[in-house]
Amino acid sequence: MPPAQPARVVLTTGFSQRHTGGVKEFSVEPGTLRGVIKAMDARFPGLGDILEEETTVAIDGEIHEVVYSQPIRPGCEVFFLPKIESG
Amino acid sequence: MLTRTKDEEKTLKVVGTRPVRPDGEPKVTGLAQYGADFSLPGMLWAKILRSPHAHARIRAIDASRALALPGVKAVITGADFMEQPFEYVGPERVAVNYWHMTRNIMAREKALYEGHAVAAVAAVSPAVAAAALKLIDVDYEVLPHVIDVDAAMAPDAPLLFEDMITRGVEPAPTRPSNVSKQIDFRLGDADAAFAAADEVVEMSFKTAPVHQGYIEPHACLARIGADGQGELWSASQGHFVVRAYTAKLLGMEIGNLLVHPAEIGGGFGGKTVIYVEPVAAMLSRKTGHPVKIMMSREDVFRATGPTSGASMTVRIGVKKDGRIVAARGVFRFQAGAFPGSPVMNACMCAFAPYDIANVHTTGYDVVCNRPKAAAYRAPGSPISAFAVESVLDVLAGKIGMDPLALRLKNAARTGTQTAYGPKHAHDGYAETVEALMKHPAYKLPLGRNQGRGVASGYWFNGGGESAATVHINEDGSVVIATGSMDIGGSRASMAMMAAETLGVPYEKVRSTVADTGSVGYNHVTGGSRVTYATGIAVVEACRKIIDDLRGRAAQIWDVNPSGVVWEDGHARPASAEVGDFAPLSLKAIAAKRAVTGGPIVAEAAVNAGGMAPGFATQFCDVEVDPETGAVKILRFVAAQDVGRAIHPSYVEGQIQGAVAQGIGWALNEEYIYDKNGRLSNAGFLDYRIPVASDLPSFDVVMVAVPNPNHPFGVKGVGEVGIVPPMAAIANAIQQATGTRMTELPMSPPRLLAALDSAEGA
Repeated sequence: MPPAQPARVVLTTGFSQRHTGGVKEFSVEPGTLRGVIKAMDARFPGLGDILEEETTVAIDGEIHEVVYSQPIRPGCEVFFLPKIESG
Repeated sequence: MLTRTKDEEKTLKVVGTRPVRPDGEPKVTGLAQYGADFSLPGMLWAKILRSPHAHARIRAIDASRALALPGVKAVITGADFMEQPFEYVGPERVAVNYWHMTRNIMAREKALYEGHAVAAVAAVSPAVAAAALKLIDVDYEVLPHVIDVDAAMAPDAPLLFEDMITRGVEPAPTRPSNVSKQIDFRLGDADAAFAAADEVVEMSFKTAPVHQGYIEPHACLARIGADGQGELWSASQGHFVVRAYTAKLLGMEIGNLLVHPAEIGGGFGGKTVIYVEPVAAMLSRKTGHPVKIMMSREDVFRATGPTSGASMTVRIGVKKDGRIVAARGVFRFQAGAFPGSPVMNACMCAFAPYDIANVHTTGYDVVCNRPKAAAYRAPGSPISAFAVESVLDVLAGKIGMDPLALRLKNAARTGTQTAYGPKHAHDGYAETVEALMKHPAYKLPLGRNQGRGVASGYWFNGGGESAATVHINEDGSVVIATGSMDIGGSRASMAMMAAETLGVPYEKVRSTVADTGSVGYNHVTGGSRVTYATGIAVVEACRKIIDDLRGRAAQIWDVNPSGVVWEDGHARPASAEVGDFAPLSLKAIAAKRAVTGGPIVAEAAVNAGGMAPGFATQFCDVEVDPETGAVKILRFVAAQDVGRAIHPSYVEGQIQGAVAQGIGWALNEEYIYDKNGRLSNAGFLDYRIPVASDLPSFDVVMVAVPNPNHPFGVKGVGEVGIVPPMAAIANAIQQATGTRMTELPMSPPRLLAALDSAEGA
């Protein structure tokens, strides 16, 4: 069985400058958002907590709160962006 | 949580109807209890001493004369509150810095705006408390102040914080300034792309800070016992957040503070933060008595959050066929006395309705000597839209294109890349433009001194954490409890979604807002999130109830639960093989509550995602009196993608209210400061919000592009309606007069001066 197409993690310019040395895009194994966060934390220790606390996530454009069980499909875009303010 | 359960084919019986709201009668008869309506035995009254200076160092506070006044029980200052670490906590756009928050509640080293709290008194009566305030001696060193955002950014501006280094700039500046933060969003190469444009327009704009204008001033009652446990009665947009903030500032465990939600007399974002609650709680802790605080209207204007005033420069380039090829926006926002303006939202929303390959936005969060900005309906988006939608109107004129056609040609759709990151996942914008293009009034002829203007707007809409509990009573009636403050009719919409799901009449469902000890965490009522997120929680809880009822029916029939279905409010055999049983109503099952297992109750908690953004497009017709500069709104047509309206009257009301606030922002509302930085118009007589006679009859066009991620297709509707009005009115004034207004408010004196200037040119 061929390996699943990876998901593409994207960060904003400002966020990547602060936390990943300016690298904005990463490939990760699909599965769940928990797996994506763990993979990012493994590359940049401490980043997992920051992603959980500071971001909202857009999965193929669909905006979600960061919830571990959120499914991450093969080939999808996982875009971490700042949380939404309430008015 | 993503819930793809909407059944397009299902006929809805309750959703989409217009029943009477459950909170209606107590509100119109004066029986509803707002923040100021609560009392307890032994209660003291508190008053807050506020700085008369816009910027001053506090050298000393002597409360001895006040404490000697008979009837005074306690005086507190900033020193009574524990120090908080200086750190930004949480997401960048909504980061909280408790070092700032505790100083906004009560000044310490400096008073940073006129009205800044510097001390508070608890006494046996309001009169004694007021008299005591006059006996508190504060030794101020008055400092130069700055209010205007451009002046605050100048190199020689007075500094509010002598050690503030701008965040978001690499390398970090070496000199302090009033610029708290700089942010950038880029897509493509805007600078290079302008070269390909046939027409480029660059303009600068200013907007006045405006208050949310809620009718009910802030008020609360606090009781902190000797055992460390406390209760708080407060009108807010989120009593769970009030609990968290107040507990943090008082060093309490969250579980030791029970917050009761009062009815709320308007919030619009301004009651997502706290002002009086920690003060009342601290005075209660110190005196051992319950303590009540009520702000005056003047307090509200001088000390609570307006939205930002702004200075902006926007440049847009188009091809002759109307295609936008590049856009650049620079947005400078007043944060008020502490960092935290909605400038990031402004940058993200500014061009979001459009499919533009090259976009660059820059935002500056700038502190100045006025109250800290608080959220206001789609925070930030209306401000940047005023600039962007005005420039688009100029460009439409230059290329001879209908302004709606220009917007439709560039409309963002599913898959369009946003400048702030992800691709759009929902349609809805183009549909609002098309709705207005088809509107019969759009082509009606205009008279002398009349003009028509159009504008669009975008808002994210929120989801997030909500919880709901559903109880079935022994008579078959239903009680649902959520922790979402009801600002816009959410008790009715929650009851309607529950009734629809359970298959019972709306009148059988009682919907309540529970205190912090009686239901799970609910985030604030804001961000247009409640009907979406809390609605999902209610529906999820009702589905659990249905599963429970099916199981109880199975017990009654002595069959397997899988052989029972729930249809139209009744348990029925799934097939003839299950048996020949008459349907059991919810009431019939509830009557056998005890013997089938006891209370029928279910809870659901969600962290809802999959919310769809709000899009709005509006046009208005105005008539300008060239003798006075007064603008009369003749017609206002507001199209908005509402997903699916649970209660259409309340959705229409949200849109009408948002437009009314936008009209006030456009034409009248502003803070007027004297040369000492003191507010001259701290009341509704001089700070003029629209009244009914100022407003036309609105024509609301609800465009329905349902969100498949909500059980009933809901999209947030509370905010985006306020985004377009300022630009729509400016564009209409331009058509009526030939004069382009670039500063808000477009009040009669300002418009008259512009008309006179144009005439003299």
